[in-house]
Amino acid sequence: MAESALFVLVEKILETLTSNMVSIPLIDPLIKMLMKIPAVNVIVAFVLWKPIFHVLILPGLLGLTLVLLFMIYFERKITARVQWRVGPKEVSRRTGGVIQALADGMRYLFQEVIVHRDAHGFYFLQFPLISFLPVLLPLLFIPAGSVWGIRSVYAIPIALALISLIPVFIIGMGWASNNKFAFIGSVREAFMYFAYEIPLLIAFLAMILLYQTADPFEIVERQSIPGILLNPLAFLAIFISILIATSRLPFDIPEADQEVAFGPYVEYSGIVFGLVMSLPYEKLYLLSLLSVILFFGGWKGPEIPLLGDLAPVLWIFIKAVIFMCVVALARSIYARYRLDQTLKMSWSVLITLSFASLLLSAGWLAWLGL
Amino acid sequence: MEEYVLDLPVSPPKEYESYFLPLPKEFLEDAYKSDDFVVFVGPQHGGSGHMRLIVRVKGDFIVEVIPDPGYVHRSMEKLAENRLYIQNIPLLERPSIIDFGNYNLGYVRAIEDALDIEVPERAKYIRTLLAELGRIGTHLYDAGILAVFIGHTTGFMWPFAMREYIVEIFTRITGTRITGSFIVPGGVRRDVDSKTLEMAKKMTYALENRIKKFERVFIKNPTTIARLKEVGVLSREDAVRYGVVGPFLRASGVEYDVRKVEPYEAYSDIDWDIVVGYEGDGYTRFLVRVEEVAQSISMIRQLVDNMPDGNVLSDDIIAFNKRDIRGSFFESYADMVLPEGEYTTLTEAARGTLLYTIVSDGESTTPYRLRFVTPGWMYLKGFMEACKGYRLADLQAIYGSFGYFPPEADR
Repeated sequence: MAESALFVLVEKILETLTSNMVSIPLIDPLIKMLMKIPAVNVIVAFVLWKPIFHVLILPGLLGLTLVLLFMIYFERKITARVQWRVGPKEVSRRTGGVIQALADGMRYLFQEVIVHRDAHGFYFLQFPLISFLPVLLPLLFIPAGSVWGIRSVYAIPIALALISLIPVFIIGMGWASNNKFAFIGSVREAFMYFAYEIPLLIAFLAMILLYQTADPFEIVERQSIPGILLNPLAFLAIFISILIATSRLPFDIPEADQEVAFGPYVEYSGIVFGLVMSLPYEKLYLLSLLSVILFFGGWKGPEIPLLGDLAPVLWIFIKAVIFMCVVALARSIYARYRLDQTLKMSWSVLITLSFASLLLSAGWLAWLGL
Repeated sequence: MEEYVLDLPVSPPKEYESYFLPLPKEFLEDAYKSDDFVVFVGPQHGGSGHMRLIVRVKGDFIVEVIPDPGYVHRSMEKLAENRLYIQNIPLLERPSIIDFGNYNLGYVRAIEDALDIEVPERAKYIRTLLAELGRIGTHLYDAGILAVFIGHTTGFMWPFAMREYIVEIFTRITGTRITGSFIVPGGVRRDVDSKTLEMAKKMTYALENRIKKFERVFIKNPTTIARLKEVGVLSREDAVRYGVVGPFLRASGVEYDVRKVEPYEAYSDIDWDIVVGYEGDGYTRFLVRVEEVAQSISMIRQLVDNMPDGNVLSDDIIAFNKRDIRGSFFESYADMVLPEGEYTTLTEAARGTLLYTIVSDGESTTPYRLRFVTPGWMYLKGFMEACKGYRLADLQAIYGSFGYFPPEADR
């Protein structure tokens, strides 16, 4: 009796999962074959269930990992090119050192994690781990074509609100480190948070006003012309804000290694250091996905019949990676601004730019009579 | 120094107790009570070099910087007392190995003063060539350090790559990349062939080309200007009062260059200008050195073009083969004794005025006392004063703008 009840339950689950599966014609025969095997079919159905596929595979966790591995490599390589160097090459020479970041990650994994005497041990180790919450949660609200985690008309504001939680965790890390440089770095992080958050939100607001909706599906649908052409001012404001938000040069202020020795992260070592240092990249990935949805037509792209549901996912992923590569270039061109210069710039130029973008959006609406 | 207990309502960090700091107890207590923050920058810090900077900040503004140098002190002056005069040449260039030409030159000139040795013209030109090559190399090195201190990684890599040209010429002339020890009393170790000289001249064109690119990416970069302009200002009076030397003195508007005031070697034969800036801020200090590189390049071309023929070793030193010291080194120098007295020379090294004083007792083959003041030590006080009143983030920018080099200062 109990056996049959369990069987019915599994059947029910399988039915729910298969009703909303990612269909990829390319690997369809393989999926069909796997679906015939009991037990395995539940796992396959689970992984290919759209919300889970979105969060775990693309553009979710696996995508995030790929981005981390690729971006660190690409950034080092492109910086090396600019600087008359070769860049990472020793690890896996035949591929030109593509797995350098992976090798670094493994090295971190085998390194001792030192919790120094003055640290607030509990929070010191907690914050790097729970800082993944505001990284992974916004991903749920960023759809990719027919693959999405949670569908909401307020998806973009929710994602932004969750992303803006990240600095809180960084400040917490700095506080738990109980180190002078970490303290200075946290204060700098807090200042920078105020510097970019308002222009960023206003510029996003300008785009939401322009599209008259905060639903990513609607936004992508309405972009017959890419958003960057409709409101370049908003793009500029968001681009600079992203540079500040992710501590990229020339705004590498909270973690300036020559000044405050990586600021909030100064006391971390081993894999925990690897985790906290990947935070800015993860933040960059999220903001890139959002920017691609708003300005570059999201997951729109040439249809690839063989890939089915996967094609739009790939398009948004590739667009986001290209966007990040452009951001990575800034590293080899600029020196670091000072904190007060950045604050002055963001509270005058950047905020004016974002308000101007708001006006531009309003102008479009008035002109089109919407 | 003894350990001490601070009379504060909190437990002070361990570093206050046992690092043997050059700080009075009152300083730390006063800083705590007046709500200031004392930050220890270094010696294991990305932006400190081999020294500790004890920075007292009020909010984000630096109230006072106390240096704690001496981490790379090698007691050159004492070591020099136990070595032959000739053995001191490699020793005394150690403080700044990339600028060995100037460091050899000052010491060797002091010996030549004492022994009244006449140096052949060709040797003088080769010595000047080495000194100017070293000056370019050092200025490029300092530009790289400045760039990385303000976070510009490309500005760090490019000058180091450009310095490879200089190093290559050094290799061809002296046989080593750094620490050439090429200048010996009475001339230089061996003659330089015309092919190498021609290459040195060609190198200056390639270097000039690269410096133009460097100017676009770093020198004229808006972020660089924002970070360095009106930062770390030393007025003319302050610069003189604190005894700043070299390009950093000239950046504050003082026209003083030993090469012009008391010309030595071939400097009076060639055409060049003193580079002077008037702002006294970090950017001017940097630009003065950039302009000095251009001056040195023009000097090298003139030196190669006007290089006289002849011997490179003096008659007073060696009787035969005056083009190469190899084989007669010990014969010529091992029993060198200076007449009793005190001999002082001033040299314009890349980072400023370099002073050597040799005191000889007139009977031993080693100096009785050797006084050796490097430019780094001279402008340390000026560097500390220039930081006051600027932001904590400016500390590294000012540091870089001075091109402070602890091994050089500590000797």
